[in-house]
Amino acid sequence: MLRRAFLQTFRQGLAQSFFKRYAVSLTETTVTHQPIETSDEAGEKSVPTQKTGDESGNTVVVAPPEFRFIYPEFLPDPAMERRNRLREKLERMDMLQRRSVIEIPEFYTGSIMAVTVADANSPNKFAKFVGICIQRGGSGLRAWFILRNVVDKQGVEILYEMYCPLIQKIEVLRLERRLDESLLYLRDALPEYSTFPMDMEPERRLNNSVVPINPLKVKLRPRPWLERWERQNLQGVEDLNLPQRFYDRAEKVAKPWEKYDLMLHYRKTIPAEEQEKIFAEVHSQLQQQELKRKLRRRRGSDNEY
Amino acid sequence: MFQSLEWRNEKLSYLAVKICLAVDITLSLKAFRLFFNHEQIRTMSRVKRRTTHPPYWHVLKNNQRTDEKISSDNLRFVQEVIQDKYKNKSPIKGSDLDIEKTEWDPKTKRSGVIARNIGVQHMWEKDGKKVICTVLHVLDNHVIRYVPPEEYAKSVIGAKMFKNRKPLGCLVVGAEASNPERFTRQYCSLFDEVGLLPKKRLARFIVTPNAALPPCTPLTAGHFVIGQAVDVYGKTIDYGFQGVVKRWGFKGGPASHGTTKFHRRGGTIGTGRDKARVWPGQKMPGHMGSERRFNRGLKIVRINMKYNIIYVKGTVPGPTNSIVQIFDTALPRRKFTEAPPHPTYFPPEDGTLPQEDIWDSSLHVFGSPSISV
Repeated sequence: MLRRAFLQTFRQGLAQSFFKRYAVSLTETTVTHQPIETSDEAGEKSVPTQKTGDESGNTVVVAPPEFRFIYPEFLPDPAMERRNRLREKLERMDMLQRRSVIEIPEFYTGSIMAVTVADANSPNKFAKFVGICIQRGGSGLRAWFILRNVVDKQGVEILYEMYCPLIQKIEVLRLERRLDESLLYLRDALPEYSTFPMDMEPERRLNNSVVPINPLKVKLRPRPWLERWERQNLQGVEDLNLPQRFYDRAEKVAKPWEKYDLMLHYRKTIPAEEQEKIFAEVHSQLQQQELKRKLRRRRGSDNEY
Repeated sequence: MFQSLEWRNEKLSYLAVKICLAVDITLSLKAFRLFFNHEQIRTMSRVKRRTTHPPYWHVLKNNQRTDEKISSDNLRFVQEVIQDKYKNKSPIKGSDLDIEKTEWDPKTKRSGVIARNIGVQHMWEKDGKKVICTVLHVLDNHVIRYVPPEEYAKSVIGAKMFKNRKPLGCLVVGAEASNPERFTRQYCSLFDEVGLLPKKRLARFIVTPNAALPPCTPLTAGHFVIGQAVDVYGKTIDYGFQGVVKRWGFKGGPASHGTTKFHRRGGTIGTGRDKARVWPGQKMPGHMGSERRFNRGLKIVRINMKYNIIYVKGTVPGPTNSIVQIFDTALPRRKFTEAPPHPTYFPPEDGTLPQEDIWDSSLHVFGSPSISV
């Protein structure tokens, strides 16, 4: 009874997460921006990491459903022509190896991060860059993210590959989410929205269990723009104040049927059963790494006194 | 008369290699165009690029029978018969080799291996440079048969290959064992002598007699050495019927400015004066891809002995999940200087497991600390 209830809530959670993930094409308010539980909470809570029993009576480890947002690069590229289970498994093993050396924290588009990279041309051989994550993508060892900042009135964007061994440290200074999955419109926004001090200190969050959503609405510079933002259904920009003909043309060009195209969304995602399997595989190792890091941090703070 | 024919044949094969390499170059570096040589194109137009049917000596492979109505008891009996027939045959160990372990010399040609291209993975070198590596999964290869040089030189292909050369032997290697019910009796009989489950893929590898292997010898990823150069044969991606822009790199016509129905067409196909006809070999739309190609000199950067995986620096012909053949390289400056596992690799018989994951010295191992320049 309890198990059925758990499975129901589990599947509901998955279904909600599924629709939330592809909220760009959905115009209805099924998009409920529910706060996601963070990796700290997920690791500490004993309830989500349940060992549900299957018919044969063997315990089956199930990773918490938040893993698909905390570690999205573990999911492979959905294109069927290039998929191979053995290669994906080997790639995941290599990713875990890299993660055992460096901490790749949980972050989302809209989080402010600092990345330290080994650089031969720098005076002290390391280059640090602070910026807001405007986009993240790729799967496996190719996973990347773009950080944006304005330095000396010049906008700078750097693409970092998460598993590149030149990266010494990835630090999340402010963990938060925005109303959009991609913040490329910051390129056409006023520069104060992309400016962050290079010596920014990591901010401590009051509530560790939930990733806050910053409901900031950004003001864009006057046209011309790099993209037709009025056609992209952005939540995080202020009213664009364009002549009506732009919105009429956007309506003509729009594809409102895509939100009903189940096969399109199916082809773009990995099925839920496979996701469960993948995360169950990497779950225990990731948990162990988290615990080791926490112990090291605690020991470090103890040694201070 | 005889001599002149031979010379022409040799020149044809030399031209064939040159054209193949030339076509490879034009396909990969689109900006670079070779000058249009009518002679080469004309001789090559008579060479058939591909066939869709197997050669006449191949036996019918796949079972043509439709589902017969067999009772479940009889089905179970069939399964039992199959299991009895193909009971565990212990693989050949190093000490079982009948032939005395002959010395390796630089002119030895070893066997190759059948593998599956399972995709591409990015790795990094020790200076931080990113490298694209193709992941090749060495399937369950077993030697089916060895044909000695004298016998092979009498066969149709052997005679052509060794016309004025010293003949070499031929190893028939099979990979990917599967259910004998899927194949015809004639195909399964190819494996009866050896007592192995019938293999989905067969390949021939030309070997020198000192690298011959007895039937039922397994070939694994350990057959290769870290850092060696290999040639990978595969059939390129099948693009189907393609137009002239994609197939030959033509520029087509302007997209706008009043162009009527001339955006991706070939344009002129002849002069009108010289010869007053279309030359054979004129580039036109047609079938593109699914052609035999060798990518030569690829370096092996990592071997995983547990899963039988080879990581090779660069890309190989063919799409993901296609079958390829891997050989020791034919490039003269990248051949072996010291002896590789000859005639093949055998796991140590005292039970010690080999190192699971072997990396090339130039690559950055993922579990090791970050690179600092």
